[in-house]
Amino acid sequence: MAEAIAVKNLTKVYGGTLKDRVPAVDNISFTVSEGEIFGFIGPNGAGKTTTIKILLGLLFPTSGEAQVLGMPAGDIETKRRISYLPESPYFYEHMTGAEVIDFYCRLFRMGAAERKKKTEELLERVGLAEDGHRTLRQYSKGMLQRIGIAQALINDPDLLFLDEPTSGLDPIAHKDITELIASLGKQGKTVFLSSHQLGDVETVCDRVAIIHRGKIVKIGTLEDLLRAGRTVITFAKAGSDLVEEVKPHAERVSADGELVRVYVESEEDVHSVLDAARGKATLVSVLPQRQTLEDLFVEIVREVRK
Amino acid sequence: MIIWSIAKTTVGDALRKKVLQIFLVVAIGLIIISLSFSQTLSFSSRAGSSTDIMLVKSFGLGLMAVAAWLISLVMGVSLIPQEIERRTIYTILAKPVKRYEFIVGKYLGAVLTLAINVAIMGIVFIAVCVFKAMGAEQPPTPEESGLAIVGMQQVGLFDWNMVWGVIMIFLQFTVLTSVILFFSVFLTPTVNFFMGLGIYIVGVMAPLTETLSSKESQLHPVLKAFYRVIHTIVPNFDKFNVTNTLLHPETHIESMARYTGIVTLYALFYSLLMMLLAIIVFRKKEV
Repeated sequence: MAEAIAVKNLTKVYGGTLKDRVPAVDNISFTVSEGEIFGFIGPNGAGKTTTIKILLGLLFPTSGEAQVLGMPAGDIETKRRISYLPESPYFYEHMTGAEVIDFYCRLFRMGAAERKKKTEELLERVGLAEDGHRTLRQYSKGMLQRIGIAQALINDPDLLFLDEPTSGLDPIAHKDITELIASLGKQGKTVFLSSHQLGDVETVCDRVAIIHRGKIVKIGTLEDLLRAGRTVITFAKAGSDLVEEVKPHAERVSADGELVRVYVESEEDVHSVLDAARGKATLVSVLPQRQTLEDLFVEIVREVRK
Repeated sequence: MIIWSIAKTTVGDALRKKVLQIFLVVAIGLIIISLSFSQTLSFSSRAGSSTDIMLVKSFGLGLMAVAAWLISLVMGVSLIPQEIERRTIYTILAKPVKRYEFIVGKYLGAVLTLAINVAIMGIVFIAVCVFKAMGAEQPPTPEESGLAIVGMQQVGLFDWNMVWGVIMIFLQFTVLTSVILFFSVFLTPTVNFFMGLGIYIVGVMAPLTETLSSKESQLHPVLKAFYRVIHTIVPNFDKFNVTNTLLHPETHIESMARYTGIVTLYALFYSLLMMLLAIIVFRKKEV
């Protein structure tokens, strides 16, 4: 599959005094395939928005390469095929919703008839058909976000950069936008999604990269990253020597009254623990726990901070 | 089409700025109040003379220049920084918009806003001049009185010179706007405000910098060279200051149309130069 985004040894250091010069993006490399929904997650200030801005040609890299749809980042012709929704987008408040979409249509040099059709179609698609005549001053945050999504869909883009598309939205708007992102994926669009909403990322993304302090610390499919889930084995009426017996095979053992919980990483250890406990305790349950993206994210970030 | 769309949006945005609306309303209010000015400043609206009208014209042209100056300065300093601060620039430059199109669109929008404001003030000002002339007592002609009275002229209802005056004010501040636009690409609004203010003051004092840099000047050669550089690079805003010429027939310019043409070309040249520099800097500007 062709690459929609290719980043190689990309570094961005912002200006300032020599002492302040910490790279916002530090020698990162990754690719995003066409048709993929790629999650780009990291704590605040990790370098997510900087990376997106470099890919859009709004910032220039200090070193390294960034290609978008086979062309160097910022190429004007490529911009006909991509779109961007910034975090907390702001549009000209004096304009109505319909005027804003019309304005962005003009930036694609669309004719009057095409603009009119597109504006109606997009307002309908983002659920603002009834509010297109109102000025943005009267819009709620969720409505502004929907206008942001609408402007990002004007050119039926092949690649969308979405920066925190669901931040601060009510549950209905949140669900609508998550579903929209998933539907874009089904249409074969490539989506580069930066978000703090890890549940959303886990739901819609095919692959994820975790960036921390400008470096990519983990990258892979959700299946690969979250496969190493642990199993919790619970025993009752355990003898006093059980804990010592199972400890070598367990990640952690906890005793809570009559119950002993043993947390194990691999399938092999599950068998070892069960063998060790045979005849020494009553088995209550064996529960495989799937690691969530949030668990993984917190674990990685804490590990790196140590 | 892209440039025009950006320009129109800039106009819509600027015209809704409260501070610019206040400048315009105050200027119009003061121009109307000037109707009651008389030679003795006794605020009698009736007993006019050609001198009273001259007072109204002088006051009106000066006031319009101050208002246009404030509008140009306040609007210009935020042209680019505000787009970055509000993040509107991200969604625009992420579209197939060339960076030069954005700069030219912003400048065109600023010039249109200036034109609308100056035109509104100009129409009110010329109406006030006509109204004042209607109420003025005509002085006796030399034939009637047998004497030529110094400073007293026959009062015409419509004075085309005032239209030239308004045009000159517009041209002057299109140049200042272009200078401020250039600085707004890389300076903060506050620094740019003072930079624009300084450049305007130096530009108005062009005859002085010219004298100081002339061969006849007694200054040290280094200082003379310094003033020569200043005089060369800072736009000569004094060129646009024709109030005295318009009000005093004895200092009349031979061909007002020719002079306006030359000054228009000067304004055009300087604005294009500033825009070109702004485009060059903005090409590598990180937003």
